[in-house]
Amino acid sequence: MFFHQILLLVIHKFRGERSSTAPFYLLKGKKSGQTIQDVTYFNLHSFFSLYSKLSMEEYKDEISTLLANEYIKSNESTILLTEKGLHQIKSMRKPMYNGWIYRGNEHIFFSRLELVVQTLSYFQASENKFVPNQKDQTVHQFVRTYLIENDFKKPGFVVSLKQQIMDLIGSSSFEDIHRELFVYRLSGYDKSGLTWEQLARYYNKSVLDVKLLFIECLHIALHTINAEKHPDLYILTKDIEVVTPLTESAMKTNLLFEKGYSIEEIAQMRSLKKNTIEDHVIEIVSANRHFPIYPFISNDQLNRVLQISHEFQTKKLKVIRDHVPDLSFFQIRIALTKGET
Amino acid sequence: MDRLTEVLQQKFGYSAFRDGQKEIIEQVIAGKDVIAILPTGMGKSLLFQLPAYLVEGTVVIVSPLLSLMQDQVEQLKIMGEKRVVAINSFLSFEEKEFVLRNLSTFKFIFTSPEMLQNERFNRMLSTIQIAYIVADEAHCISQWGFDFRPDYLRISSWLKSFKETNVLALTATATKKVVSDIKSTLHMKEPYEFIHSIDRPSIAYEVKELENQQEKVQWIIGRITTTNGPGILYTQSRKKSEFYAEELRNRGIRVAFYHAKMEQDDRILIQQQFQQGKLDWVCATNAFGMGIHKDNIRQIIHDHIPTSIASYVQEVGRAARDGNQSLASLVYTSSDVEQAYYVAMQDFPEDADIQLFYRSESTEIQLPETTTRILSYWKEVLSEQETIDLFRNIKQKKWLEIQSLFSLFQNDLCIREQLLNNFDEYLEKRPSNCCNVCSFDIRDVLEQRNQTEVEKQQLNWVYRLNELLH
Ligand SMILES: [Zn+2]
Repeated sequence: MFFHQILLLVIHKFRGERSSTAPFYLLKGKKSGQTIQDVTYFNLHSFFSLYSKLSMEEYKDEISTLLANEYIKSNESTILLTEKGLHQIKSMRKPMYNGWIYRGNEHIFFSRLELVVQTLSYFQASENKFVPNQKDQTVHQFVRTYLIENDFKKPGFVVSLKQQIMDLIGSSSFEDIHRELFVYRLSGYDKSGLTWEQLARYYNKSVLDVKLLFIECLHIALHTINAEKHPDLYILTKDIEVVTPLTESAMKTNLLFEKGYSIEEIAQMRSLKKNTIEDHVIEIVSANRHFPIYPFISNDQLNRVLQISHEFQTKKLKVIRDHVPDLSFFQIRIALTKGET
Repeated sequence: MDRLTEVLQQKFGYSAFRDGQKEIIEQVIAGKDVIAILPTGMGKSLLFQLPAYLVEGTVVIVSPLLSLMQDQVEQLKIMGEKRVVAINSFLSFEEKEFVLRNLSTFKFIFTSPEMLQNERFNRMLSTIQIAYIVADEAHCISQWGFDFRPDYLRISSWLKSFKETNVLALTATATKKVVSDIKSTLHMKEPYEFIHSIDRPSIAYEVKELENQQEKVQWIIGRITTTNGPGILYTQSRKKSEFYAEELRNRGIRVAFYHAKMEQDDRILIQQQFQQGKLDWVCATNAFGMGIHKDNIRQIIHDHIPTSIASYVQEVGRAARDGNQSLASLVYTSSDVEQAYYVAMQDFPEDADIQLFYRSESTEIQLPETTTRILSYWKEVLSEQETIDLFRNIKQKKWLEIQSLFSLFQNDLCIREQLLNNFDEYLEKRPSNCCNVCSFDIRDVLEQRNQTEVEKQQLNWVYRLNELLH
């Protein structure tokens, strides 16, 4: 049910202006120019890269169910919300994601915490030897350093960490299901965590719904943790937020722009298509509002595009282009991206 | 106390050696080639771990099964051994670089057969002192074995650069044919051979032919709901394992399913829950079992005919590690033998697949990954026709093996004796609870299930957090 609601919200935000697979690529976090620019156009930051493991099969299944229940209808190559669907999203609580800045890294945070808790739990049971559930060596390295630097054997460390976890998930931003998922995905001495399937059965929900609720819980947690109130948890959030939300390729392009090269020159230097570099520009503009766009479009042209978009309530490039035939699609895309930042 | 026993006690915390261990270790230390065949759970790891502390240099362990390698690395780390590393495709580029530059600082280097082709790895290996080489799961070398790994054959040419180094080959099960394959592939001249009997006197065997699938389901549910666990129910498919788990759960059994399609995290959790006694039964495909450290498994049930005698023996052998009476049951219908053959054939290519594989340039053909690996190997070594003949031959042998397993279950001879004979062994002493052909009283073998009503667990986060951390 939860996944349905997320999908309805996303479909609603796309306003029938994108293909029926656009929500899929958004949730998977596809790093293409189109998806990234849409994040800005349609203000979809919270849903970007929510669940990278989503399969096309799972997605199509959910879409068919939504169609069958008449929450959505298909219209040419796109999908739209029906009245019934609209009603549905009005009655639901607002999901609290922030996919744009965490992008799956929330799981690294939880892996660290999982290993810390498992270690401390065994330590308290006087069992210094155990097989970590967490197999990732970079997580091991991180936690080893963390435990040593924080002198985990000193009296009070465990109590204080536990208090911080209590305080964190006790906060009113969480619902009980969040709190339970958070704690029952942890393991300790003689206390193994529960599998997704076991949790899903307990709540009578689908595995996908439970996983999405868990991700929501992590996003709330990461948003809530602060250095004063949760100092020991705060350290575990190191490098979890994506600082430069640019793809690696766009980052390279960005560096060349900073050196003063033009789109054509960069395309040639990097042996890439001009289109690709244009996608990078869109990506850079949506990430950095100080990026100078005057080499590509004048202030006057920009305002014209935004005015048309507003007047006709559309972000369809073709519709806008009909009114400003002197501008390229690329210029219109820049204008629309800028208009949202 | 002699030096070996001293190390055994100090490093490993055991008071005495088990049958055969000491002799094998002495031979390894003396620099002899050794082949040791020991059932899983009989202290196989100790054979290559202990000598390492009494000789100079690094031990290199070649292991074809990644999950097993991971488990062994973890076991060594638990013992406090930090100088251990696994070099395989899971390492990132940076990690691999770091390890290769510091190769000599490790006492135990685990590696996969694929790595043996890596030139840089071999160059670095040649600069360090190697104590001895271990070929783990050595039966995978033999194409007649039930899990042949073609990459593993590459160890043969690789070993030629280590002529002076002695080799320890370890495996749980092997017929004479497989042992001779191991010897020739590993260039062993006069190895010390230790063959532990595969017989497990504390496991009784029970085999039943039933009319149809429904009868099987009824029999299995009846057995599990009335007798004691812990136990493993082996099924042939992912779907079946989920089906049985659901049926049993509805009847108040603490049960979970386990198969390879589950996420790794969740597989680990099920293993732990089973080991901690939070689950009484696991309904699983053959993916379950490796790396399970649980001594008190009382029952193993198969709802199908396994695809080889060796895999059957291995799965059954997970019971009774503590030496207490246990039972291995198998129920089948007459059509199951074809099903077993069908499953066994899934990984083998058809003639047409082989032709296509030889005649097309890249690997555009859609074949299972293991098949592609096996074929790529033979493509280098054999002609198209030879490969076709080889696989026809292997399939023929497979069919015969499944047939013989089937007739072993069907005829009126002692199951235990027949299993032993298959591995060229003879029964020396028949346990009082042998098999249902020799007859035994089920009440001597199984206990009644203590009807502990499972109440639905209520999740409570504060309570749980207090359990995890005090
Ligand atoms: Zn018998």
